[in-house]
Amino acid sequence: MRVSKFTGVAAGIAAAALLAGCSAGGGQASSGEKHVTLWMYPVVADEATNKSFWDDTIAAFEKEHKDITVDYEIFPWANRDEALQTAIAAGKGPDLVYLVPDQLAAYKKSIAPMNDLLSAERQKDLLPNVKDSVTIDGDLMAAPVLTSAQPLVCNAAVFQQAGVAEYPKTWDDVKRLAPTFAAKGFSMLNYPASAENTLNMTFYPVLWQAGGEVYDKDGGVGFDSEAGEKALTFLTDLATAKALDPEALTTNVPLEQTAIAQGKVACTFNNAVTEVAPFWGKENVKVLPPLKGEKSVAYGTVGSLAVLKGSKAPEAAAAFAEYATGADVVKPFLTAAGYFSALSTTEPLYADDPLLGEVEKYVPDTTVGQLATSSRALMGVLSPEIQAALLGQKSPADALKDAAAAAAPILKK
Amino acid sequence: MTTATTGKRPLGAVGRVLARREARVALLFVLPAFLLFLAFRFGPSIAGVALSLFDYDITGEIAWRGLDHFQRLVADPLFWRAMGTTVVYTVFAVPISLVLSTVMALGVRRAFRGSRFFRSIFFLPVITSLVLAGSIFVWIFSANGPWSALMSPLGLGGSWLGSTVLVIPAIIVVGVWSRFGYGMMILIAAMQDVPRELEEAALMDGANAWQRFRSIILPHLRPTFFFLAVIETTAAFQVFDVIYVMTQGGPANASYSLVYLLYDQGFKYFDYGYAAAVGVALFAMTLVVALVQRLVIGKQR
Repeated sequence: MRVSKFTGVAAGIAAAALLAGCSAGGGQASSGEKHVTLWMYPVVADEATNKSFWDDTIAAFEKEHKDITVDYEIFPWANRDEALQTAIAAGKGPDLVYLVPDQLAAYKKSIAPMNDLLSAERQKDLLPNVKDSVTIDGDLMAAPVLTSAQPLVCNAAVFQQAGVAEYPKTWDDVKRLAPTFAAKGFSMLNYPASAENTLNMTFYPVLWQAGGEVYDKDGGVGFDSEAGEKALTFLTDLATAKALDPEALTTNVPLEQTAIAQGKVACTFNNAVTEVAPFWGKENVKVLPPLKGEKSVAYGTVGSLAVLKGSKAPEAAAAFAEYATGADVVKPFLTAAGYFSALSTTEPLYADDPLLGEVEKYVPDTTVGQLATSSRALMGVLSPEIQAALLGQKSPADALKDAAAAAAPILKK
Repeated sequence: MTTATTGKRPLGAVGRVLARREARVALLFVLPAFLLFLAFRFGPSIAGVALSLFDYDITGEIAWRGLDHFQRLVADPLFWRAMGTTVVYTVFAVPISLVLSTVMALGVRRAFRGSRFFRSIFFLPVITSLVLAGSIFVWIFSANGPWSALMSPLGLGGSWLGSTVLVIPAIIVVGVWSRFGYGMMILIAAMQDVPRELEEAALMDGANAWQRFRSIILPHLRPTFFFLAVIETTAAFQVFDVIYVMTQGGPANASYSLVYLLYDQGFKYFDYGYAAAVGVALFAMTLVVALVQRLVIGKQR
């Protein structure tokens, strides 16, 4: 076989080119000015509105801060942690990123606390429960953008069809009314139990209402308690009495395909009023206080902007975070997304909105629960056990005991 | 006595090969692939094994843990559950896929009107995105989907993905659907090598279709079956995408596979060391099974 000189040279060039490709790294041009990159997510579902807000906010900020430029990128919600942790590990993370409290705990080591980066005035203005939600070991981890509340929301049309005139306030009310709804073919409560659903919106509020906590005082397992068993038994009793939508216990389908959207469920504490109103009709959405077991308590998330330790311009990033989360600046963002202000001095945003205005009243009383690095991993072992109990495969006590055993090596770390 | 020398040392086997210009050029062509293999396959594999002995943090902090992760693995009920799910999936999916691949290959191996069309149709699932197909299968297996309607007379109606018993059969159906076309194509190629005159002679001797397949075609296919068994088993042990799209490991961990455990530990909980330990265990298990397959199928070649 004859091989021409050209072929040999071509092979050599190909090898060299591939090698060069392997070793090529992303260089950074030095611009002389401070540059901030922001990673955001579709908090405002409408892409154009979301982009327009950030474009306008950045333009206004850059006008006031001539030495700072800001770039942003909107990532999808799906797999956001994979993208972020890969970027951080590779040293390519953003300066500023939108995180919720569970993430603040998980990324704790990668976040630059804002104790000295956010003005004292702003820190003082934060709602106390919001400030608690972004504070870990005494450090303020991020600048809160928004907050939410998940009170009880009931479908008045379902109550009417079932012939029920009274709305539930306590667990006892739920247990008493559930058979009436079941007899008419309705589920009393929505409880999505598949693995994709965060326990923050499902089991934890019930646990808190029972007087329990996820972790004990020493940071060990706290859900494996009398209160935990009481909370899970409340739910399994409802499941047995067909008071929970059976489909939602096992599968995760788009909202429009769920029983809650189809008007087959009386109440929910894990859907926002803005989610259910288009399906139920605004006139049928009834906002009620969170259910009361031992106490009445609801979950409310906090969205925040955190400065990463890898940032080359942390002060500039924090300056932008403070600007973007200011009461007047963030207002159109909050109203477009249907969220609430994290600041105590802000006037009610939804005074003219009978639904969101009602939900807004519960914002100061919500909680995100305890923040711990292991919170997501703990959910990973607890969630399937709760699901197993709800499907009748395990007793509540056994499910919590097994989850506690599986959680032990996670908490040891 | 003097010894005459030529001034050149005798060449070894490698040297003799390298002395040929064609071989040197061939090596140059192989070099990029070899380097890429080292960089992206071999390197990460070694790094993965090393990582299983450490705790690694995304901030770059690293701490020696020795065999701690493996001790945790042995005591972790979730690992054993995921192992059980993975083994059950593999034990059913691989043989079913091989049988289906063989049946389909026998059906379309000869050229007939429409044979190319059917080959393409059967191969289509292999090149179809499982993320897309999975979404459709979620509906198919839902309580209101066609599969439930089809299975209702057998008392197996309702959502298969919502059942802790039926979810694995559902995943197997989708897994086999997505893989059998690949095996079919490989087998069709192998069947082309079976001498036609042998089959014709057997036909003239009165052998029926089963006898011709068993005595003539099957012996020719043994090396191919070995190859497919290893490939399919490796793929089955690594089942993830179907589960990720369709069940997220549920309900109640009933479809939680080893790779899903690895994914959760690494990418959801940032426990890279433990995730790497799961990967090492998976690699060891796959290697053992491949060696057993080599002993069982490969020996009979």
